[in-house]
Amino acid sequence: MTVHFVANEASIVDGKPMIVEIQGRSIGVYRIKGELFALHNYCPHAGAPLCKGAVEGTALGSNVYEYTFGRKGEIVRCPWHGWEFDIKSGISLHDPAVRAKSYKVVVEEGKVGIVLR
Amino acid sequence: MQKADMVLFDTDIHNEIADQRQLLPFLPEIWHKQWMQAGTGIGMPFFSPVGVLRRDAITESGGTPGSDPSIIVKEHLDLYGFRYGLLNWGRAIEMSIHPDPDYANAIVSAHNDFMETECLTTDSRFRGSIVINHSDPAAAATEIDRMAGRHGFLQAIMCSASRMPFGQRFYHPIYEAAERNGIPIAIHPGTEGRGISGAPTPSGYPTRYMEWHNILPTNYMTHVNSLVCEGVFEKFPKLKFICIEGGISWIPHLMWRMDKNYKGLRASAPWLKGLPSEYIREHFYFTTQPIEEPDNKRHLEYLIEMGGLEDKIMYASDYPHWDFDNPQAVMRAFSPAIRGKIMGENALRLYKVGT
Repeated sequence: MTVHFVANEASIVDGKPMIVEIQGRSIGVYRIKGELFALHNYCPHAGAPLCKGAVEGTALGSNVYEYTFGRKGEIVRCPWHGWEFDIKSGISLHDPAVRAKSYKVVVEEGKVGIVLR
Repeated sequence: MQKADMVLFDTDIHNEIADQRQLLPFLPEIWHKQWMQAGTGIGMPFFSPVGVLRRDAITESGGTPGSDPSIIVKEHLDLYGFRYGLLNWGRAIEMSIHPDPDYANAIVSAHNDFMETECLTTDSRFRGSIVINHSDPAAAATEIDRMAGRHGFLQAIMCSASRMPFGQRFYHPIYEAAERNGIPIAIHPGTEGRGISGAPTPSGYPTRYMEWHNILPTNYMTHVNSLVCEGVFEKFPKLKFICIEGGISWIPHLMWRMDKNYKGLRASAPWLKGLPSEYIREHFYFTTQPIEEPDNKRHLEYLIEMGGLEDKIMYASDYPHWDFDNPQAVMRAFSPAIRGKIMGENALRLYKVGT
């Protein structure tokens, strides 16, 4: 387990990931209401740069012809085919078995570290 | 080879009245003149050199094929050994695309009463469909409530041509009534581009009968797609929907396309709780006739396997229409492993009738 420090904490802002490269791997670092999360910048579907997708809210599960908007800022929508992923877990919204790889994030002395195994 | 214990269930037989006057005792007098002079009033612009009705099924007195139940019994049920034959009417199904819903409602009700007293009573193997007018969903629901549960009626039937895709909320009262009464809804083609329905394709009218008939399954794709995406089966989870005479081979294609799109576009149908293909497998049945005839017969069975549909395909003859499928020929299209299901078992289970 290795921690790679990649940025100052203050430079990661809500709604816009910072894309960093660690050992040849592209990773997006997100801030959601003060918490930090990291996703592999690679969609498990077809290899798109997932973290270049829009950070959005979405329609939550609902009854027929009802619409519930929620999870604003917690969803990234892949720029290629529109698959939605939960930024906090990497799990896709259409199938819990489909997920983008996520990484643990640590903050030490104002520096953001990504934990790689 | 037919196993001795194989049950044959024909899910699509077209009966007719022999004479317009037969309907009058069941029809309010205000409509008698229109019925006698105009009939269903739905024109047919496409001409088939074959004719729609089998020439060998014309009755001895020169009557319309399907208009004498005793001939359906002798030349169809007895000849092939059917355990059940489901009577789906012929021209009466057209009433949904008549411009006048009041006339259409009266005509379908009269046919349903005629079916009960004049058709289903003639042989214990006959079962019937309640014909409804889908252009007036409230009236269709009332008709389902009136007829469902009467002896021999297994489902409601309506034509597949319409003014809107069938998943839209306009039609939901029909599905609510079907679910409430525990009967499935069946659709039947042949009306596409006629009456008040939309054009047979989004690009307008095919030129000739063959071209029109070739492309009818695209309308079925429209309805299956709509019924799933609009959440009809979330709203009416017990509803079953039968696609008669619309083909089989397109189903895997539609499933795969819908599933692929769902992964990116699920937020536009947030009421769906699983892949579209799962709703299709759970809620739809499809009938065989006119069965696809690939050069390599196994290819059709591959498609059924791809769709996971072996429990959802039901034999239909379309007697006495020109493109009739002989059950002996159809059963040879399937391996013994699924032959019994398709020729009868799937229908017995859907319609909850005993052997």
